[in-house]
Amino acid sequence: MSALVSNILTQVFITLIAVAGVYVLTGLTGMFSLGQAAFMAIGAYASGLLVVRLHMNFALAVVLSVLMAVAVGYLIGYPVVRLRRDYISLVTLGFGEAIGALLNRMTFLTGGASGLTGVPRRVGLPLACVSAVVAILLVAFFKTSKYGRQCIALRGDELAAKAMGINVIRVKMTAFLLSVALTAYSGALYVFYMSYVDPTGFGWKKSADWVIMVFFGGVNSLTGSTLGAFILSALPQMLRGLQNYRYVVYAVLVLLILNFKPSGLLGEWELTPGNLKKSIGRLTGGGRRKEER
Amino acid sequence: MKKKLLAVTLALAMAFGMAACGGDPGKTGSGSADQGSAGNDAGGEDGADAGDMGEDADASASGTEASQPAAGDGEILIGCLQDITGSTSALGISVQTGAQDAVDEINASGGVNGKTLVMKTYDTKGDVTEAVNAYITAVTVDNVSIIVGPPVANIANAIKETSEDYDVPVMGLAMDPACQLKEDGTAYKNMFCFQPNANTQGDIMASFAVKNGLKTFGVLYNQENSYSVSLLNPFLDTLKDQGITVDESLIVAYGAADTDYKTLLQPIVSAGVDAIYCPNYTQQLVAICTAASELGFKGKIINGLDAAPPFNTTFGGDCSNIYYINNIDVNDEKTSEMVAKIEDKVSAVNKYFLGYDIVMVAKACIEKAGLEDADALRDTIANVKDFEGLTGKITMDPASHMPAGMGMFMYTYDNQTPVMLEEYAGN
Amino acid sequence: MSLQIILNGIATGSVYALIATGFALIFNVLKFSNFSHGATMTACAFISYFLVADKGLGLFPTLLAAGAAGAVVALFGEFVGFRRILKNHSSATYFFVSSITLGTLYEGLVTIRVGSNFFNFPSFFNNPTIGIGSLVISTTDVMMFVISVAVLLVLAFVIQNTRLGRALRAVSFDRDTAQLMGINSTRMIQSAFVISGVLAGIAGVFLGIKYTLYPSLGSLVVKGFIASVIGGLGSLPGAIAGAFLLGILETILLSLLGSGYSTIATFAIMLLFLLVRPQGIAGSNVQEKA
Repeated sequence: MSALVSNILTQVFITLIAVAGVYVLTGLTGMFSLGQAAFMAIGAYASGLLVVRLHMNFALAVVLSVLMAVAVGYLIGYPVVRLRRDYISLVTLGFGEAIGALLNRMTFLTGGASGLTGVPRRVGLPLACVSAVVAILLVAFFKTSKYGRQCIALRGDELAAKAMGINVIRVKMTAFLLSVALTAYSGALYVFYMSYVDPTGFGWKKSADWVIMVFFGGVNSLTGSTLGAFILSALPQMLRGLQNYRYVVYAVLVLLILNFKPSGLLGEWELTPGNLKKSIGRLTGGGRRKEER
Repeated sequence: MKKKLLAVTLALAMAFGMAACGGDPGKTGSGSADQGSAGNDAGGEDGADAGDMGEDADASASGTEASQPAAGDGEILIGCLQDITGSTSALGISVQTGAQDAVDEINASGGVNGKTLVMKTYDTKGDVTEAVNAYITAVTVDNVSIIVGPPVANIANAIKETSEDYDVPVMGLAMDPACQLKEDGTAYKNMFCFQPNANTQGDIMASFAVKNGLKTFGVLYNQENSYSVSLLNPFLDTLKDQGITVDESLIVAYGAADTDYKTLLQPIVSAGVDAIYCPNYTQQLVAICTAASELGFKGKIINGLDAAPPFNTTFGGDCSNIYYINNIDVNDEKTSEMVAKIEDKVSAVNKYFLGYDIVMVAKACIEKAGLEDADALRDTIANVKDFEGLTGKITMDPASHMPAGMGMFMYTYDNQTPVMLEEYAGN
Repeated sequence: MSLQIILNGIATGSVYALIATGFALIFNVLKFSNFSHGATMTACAFISYFLVADKGLGLFPTLLAAGAAGAVVALFGEFVGFRRILKNHSSATYFFVSSITLGTLYEGLVTIRVGSNFFNFPSFFNNPTIGIGSLVISTTDVMMFVISVAVLLVLAFVIQNTRLGRALRAVSFDRDTAQLMGINSTRMIQSAFVISGVLAGIAGVFLGIKYTLYPSLGSLVVKGFIASVIGGLGSLPGAIAGAFLLGILETILLSLLGSGYSTIATFAIMLLFLLVRPQGIAGSNVQEKA
């Protein structure tokens, strides 16, 4: 495999983990976070600093950084899960900006604007790939679990879900923390792959990009979200030849999907053995028209 | 349905219409050149600190084999890694234009060792992840022989580790010494900087200020910008050596989220300082200078390279209270001739010359060392001596991969016209 | 606390107010945060720069051109970004995603045109400052404040006292019922976009004057977003109050704490405010429809 392909794939897999987190948050629970990328920054900086400054073991540093991010997530999650949609976006947005400012300000610790250098390179394609697969399986498991079904229920109608006896706040918090953990983990992989991290690029636009990926592939389908993330994060690299038009092309493509296939590329279709068989059956025998959830 | 189709068609038409107007600054030359001889076969230093990236190193080796005898034998491909879009695109495009003009000039006079130079540009979008992608594309897919690097420190910081796995020199402009030097003080084998580093520039500006009778200072710098940050301490250190301490409360930082320069400048202006040191990018500089004049600030403003033209025309007002540092000497005949020629097409003129000089140095080095042996080429670049560039006499320090003793020029404006005041030798 | 700092805050707040109102207007009718507003501002500022200001025609033609450009751009956006989603009765989250994508599109187009250069509006005034005693007020700030207030007053009059305003309010209250009452809701949504586009155009020029012109100028839209949310989603007076509050708060914190920490403090205050008064300043009647 060429170095370029392996490099792009590694980055795509790292992104996939974060997007799996966003799927839990936005796809399953209907919450919009504009500060999700800040958790990636926390994961990256925390694990990087633990290794660079304290010479901690790589694996231990990653685990600790995820735990730290979850702790921060709990603090932010406390108000977030109690607020309604646009307030969630606002609080997470402010949180993301604050983290960015903090990383820039704490020069003695983080290196400030010059970034954190000297992080050893510990992550390659195999680890990124395995991590992404595990993360997606974890989310798939979560989706089909009791919690996942409760998430879907409260996304549809919070009041009704409450009436059914679902502890809305607890379910939302669980989903939020799961997504934070995944995002922070992806950040840790990022820094040990890039061996460098600076405070730019973790703003609300990055978080919004992830949301776009989820919608592009299908907000109701984990398979779709994964596919969307795969396509949209690899696309700008494929379009490198177009130079500065490539983001225009990207935007037009996403607009086309939103307009003409609002349920995303895959709609609600999930990749399960049953569905796969059905699809194959449909292709060969022109079977049933519509698959069930 | 028809209406919707029309809408989308319109959107597409608008998109591509505008895109077409923009012209394509990127692709130049055929771009198909597979000059594999860049010297991926150096061996020796490989695996220096590659860690788990062994894969990449392997891949690059196999990539070389595949493309070794490919087409474009009469061509030498150089990569230009710049921010073509993103917040520093004006700088990147200026470097790119300068480099391209040098390439054209070299080709017009017979090329390098009888081969034509072809330059291909890779957009980093001002983003570190993009930069790594661009770098790897350049060195493994296109097999460029040399890379003209960006004037942005964060980008250089991002690619310096990755560059260790390959054998393509990055002839860049990142003036933060950390971009060229590892923690242990040795240089990254492929990273080079071709303008005086931040320490030198800060030192020159401070010496100049003191020499011109300025005694009290305030500082406004962008703490979210590594360039701005890297120029802060060298300036303050030199002032301290001269017995001037800047009051802590007058060293003011700002970030992208801050929208009110006046409030930030207020304490500095009220303190009645002689000068404000302001190492910032042009666009913020314009806003800051406007705010300073709105606050009625009468002192001097000392700036880095970014107050060079087009700062004056962008600012629009009287710039007589501006001092700035520059790489080029407009009194030099050849330089001023070229400035006149390119002024209309290039925004950051000094960056144009930096790009131009890099390609000229690269040509000299390739002629001397050839492309077969990567170590020889790197050695030649690291030992460039007394190269007469338009940005001064370039002599590289082989230990630090940065120019040694390269001078700079201090300027001011007479209303809107740049006036060269003094040349400073580097240290 | 010096009066000077409060004045600076009011000046900043008046620009935020224009952004926040344009933002709140769209929220009012479609119940989503329109993040393409920022890139619309940038695009309009550049369009008016190239068409008018660059030719030295002065401030008012520039503002007019920017407003007109804003109307056109916003209409275009409504057409390609939102019309069809509206027709599909998709959830408001689609508008949100679509608006961010539109923003990317505009910003990409602007970058292609202007990426290689620096731009700044010519100075429109001969005297940069007006001195009142020891206070220094910049002419530009006074101009921005006066024009913002004038524009917002006109808007308030239109919303309160005209047929268009009444229809707009009806549509924002309940789109389907308004339709049944004979109001062309598509037309009204278009009108809302046109008005918000005009506001975006004017705000874009102000931002350009204050901070020079660059492709990501519109990222200041987040300030408008914050202001309109703490103001009470969809409430226009709330958005204006929120904008001035935010402007003054930011300036005070900036002078007290310096950059960086002021961002963090702003966030903390915002969080506290939302916990204490989750309905925003205006306590608006906008409710999440299940």
